[in-house]
Amino acid sequence: MILSIRFLVIVAILFHSGIPETLAQSQGLEIGNIAPEISLPAPDGNFISLSSLRGKLVLIDFWATWCGPCINEQPLLARLYKKYGESEFTKAQDFEIYGVSLDTKKASWEKSIRKMKIDWIQVSDLKFWGSPIAETYDIQALPFNVLIDERGVIIAKNLHGKALEQSIEILIKK
Amino acid sequence: MVLPFQSFAQRQRIEPWTESQLMSPPELAKIINESSKPTTYIFSIGPTGLIKNSIDIGEGKEKANLDRLKKQVDKLPLDARIVIYCGCCPFDKCPNIRPAFNLLNEMKFTNHKLLNLPKNLKVDWIDHGYPINE
Repeated sequence: MILSIRFLVIVAILFHSGIPETLAQSQGLEIGNIAPEISLPAPDGNFISLSSLRGKLVLIDFWATWCGPCINEQPLLARLYKKYGESEFTKAQDFEIYGVSLDTKKASWEKSIRKMKIDWIQVSDLKFWGSPIAETYDIQALPFNVLIDERGVIIAKNLHGKALEQSIEILIKK
Repeated sequence: MVLPFQSFAQRQRIEPWTESQLMSPPELAKIINESSKPTTYIFSIGPTGLIKNSIDIGEGKEKANLDRLKKQVDKLPLDARIVIYCGCCPFDKCPNIRPAFNLLNEMKFTNHKLLNLPKNLKVDWIDHGYPINE
């Protein structure tokens, strides 16, 4: 387990420092690709796009209120957001979480946001597994996440717990 | 504590359904697509009623939703063909299917089934192109 976490962190560092510009220009789901654009409404109805967060280190968190493991993960995300939200990274400025919910009922979604005091970006088309974004990102199960750099390039996928935290920590400007 | 002499089967969770009470997705898709078949009542006891012709009950972990399911099936004969599904997540993590299936057991239904979505509704239904509500 420890070895796999170290491996993932090393991979993240290598990719962050060494992704060729040519590779980073193509859109896709592989590490090194530009993450596909997402533009969905927040609870207030205003659309927020992923590309509007360029310049920041961004964790795209795919979750839903009906997903137990996703709910269990939210306190960790809250801690990471508080700890790294305004940090200076080697290339990015600030850390943002872009939460994409696969909920179906707006009331449940909003209630959970309030209850868990989620203060990072939240968007959803409320289409459950029928959401085109679930298709675009080829999501097979929740929770699922993607870490992208200041250019919108994917540097890690589906990291949880300590592996996720270490992947962010390693990018802090020393 | 798991005793060393327990068999593998004994260590498995005892489910309220039997193997024969699991309906495969292609079987349900065929039933939906062939309207000449006898009526099958399909209930979603998960986040949403995505499957075509299904009735959205709400998550089976909530008592209010179990009451809704009970009200829906109360008028049906005990041998009615009933299929329930969730599809939020793998069976072992799903909080909805067991309370709902237990309810149908307690009500003495004899022809009720659980749609076999071992991973989730996307992987086991949508990705196969099976019919969904538009």
